[in-house]
Amino acid sequence: MTRALSFLRGLVHLWPVVLVFVAWDAWVVLNGYTSTVAPRPFPVVTDVVIGFGEYLPYISYTLGVALVGLLGGTLVGFAAAVVVWSSAALAGVVTPAALIIRSVPITALIPIIARIVGYGDPAVLTSTVLICFFPAFVFTLSGLAAIPASGHDLFRVLGGNKLQVLARLGVLYAVPNLMVSVRITAPTAVLAAMLAEFLMGAHGLGALFSESRSYMDMERAWGVALVATTVSVFVFLGARALENRVVARVT
Amino acid sequence: MTAAARPGTAALFGIGGALLVVVAAQLVGQFQLAGRAWPPLTDVLAYVTTPAGSGLLLRNGLVTLTAAAQGLLLGVVVAVFGAALALVVPMLRPGFERFAAILNAFPTIALAPLLITTAGREDTPMVIAALSVGFVMFVTMTSGFANVPAAHSDVLTVLGSSRVQRLVRLELPRAVPSFFDGLTLSAPAAILGATIGEWFGAPKGLGLLLVSAMQNYQMPLLWSAALVATALSLAAYIVFVQFQRIAVRRFG
Repeated sequence: MTRALSFLRGLVHLWPVVLVFVAWDAWVVLNGYTSTVAPRPFPVVTDVVIGFGEYLPYISYTLGVALVGLLGGTLVGFAAAVVVWSSAALAGVVTPAALIIRSVPITALIPIIARIVGYGDPAVLTSTVLICFFPAFVFTLSGLAAIPASGHDLFRVLGGNKLQVLARLGVLYAVPNLMVSVRITAPTAVLAAMLAEFLMGAHGLGALFSESRSYMDMERAWGVALVATTVSVFVFLGARALENRVVARVT
Repeated sequence: MTAAARPGTAALFGIGGALLVVVAAQLVGQFQLAGRAWPPLTDVLAYVTTPAGSGLLLRNGLVTLTAAAQGLLLGVVVAVFGAALALVVPMLRPGFERFAAILNAFPTIALAPLLITTAGREDTPMVIAALSVGFVMFVTMTSGFANVPAAHSDVLTVLGSSRVQRLVRLELPRAVPSFFDGLTLSAPAAILGATIGEWFGAPKGLGLLLVSAMQNYQMPLLWSAALVATALSLAAYIVFVQFQRIAVRRFG
């Protein structure tokens, strides 16, 4: 009973979402927009619900790309950070460069990758992996740098080597940071996947978006916006839940 | 580690790292290791220094910078106002917090084409930049306001201050460092937002330049536009980091 109540209370607290829908409807009606300019919420939601089967392949493609990119980018970033961490000189040289490359806007990165890798699935995936790579790299490295000197000393006195410091101490410091990076990059991965799909892909929500826009199917275009937001929010919530679990386990 | 402990060494390593990236980029281009799409850096720089190239980049860079700056201003004002409203009217708070999580995950691309038909081609980059900034600022400001020690808030309440007085005398000054934290995140977000808006058929701007250079296989132009976009993003970030340092010294 209390569970149901708290669930209901949670639903009530979603009132800003309802407000957005009401404002959207009012905005369309008050401006007198026709459905080719901006459709009202109800037909859009109907399109999503009835045509969900048509959306599904696009959703699964985008979700798949975003998750693979997130996982791949995070793993590669973690591994690269560990390699770099093992040498002070390497860390000093690579970290500033990584910080600079990290501030390349996605919109500038994707066209270049598209040209280098070639149009299509590999470019979409490469873009997403690369965008998740740098935060994971930077966060892991800062976690490893936070190992206290006393910890290093203890391992040295007990005769532990660098690998043991990493496996028994480094992971404890790096993993919570790595999970922060996963939470931060999760929505960015979805955004990057969609931008890449929009620009070149034949699959995914981004492609469906550009397709429905060129056919002036505005209900579908807004429906994609709605679905993409939902997907992104769920990926973010999933990443946050994962972060909480992992951090609770490690610390 | 030890490198970070000595600032001179760290700076030396930093310069070394930057040089390494430049040399590597040049070599990859020179030997065509990544195909024709990766030109040598010298070609890109040669293009930037031609009058036609520099004029084109300057004009479009200014358009993007203006859109990003206007968006930044608009987004910051609205987000701070919204976060303050949620603080003064406690009933709104749980709803606003949930909404902040949704906004945080919102893919701005979802709005871009829809804004083109309503806000117009010219204004869309600015609106997208404002939205991206607004989302970031709202999230940081809500957590900044929530970060006030209960004891301070209790003292003011016991002394009979109203919610608005508490906001002005306690929560706003306490949130100043968060405000500047948010700005350092917002500056690159504004540039990104503006370029996303320009991808979808804006008449001018770096985003447009990037897409058209990609489609027409103008590699030096594509790379130099990417360089300019990165430079803008990095410069904005560095400027706001300096502000943040000053703010932390004064209010932290």
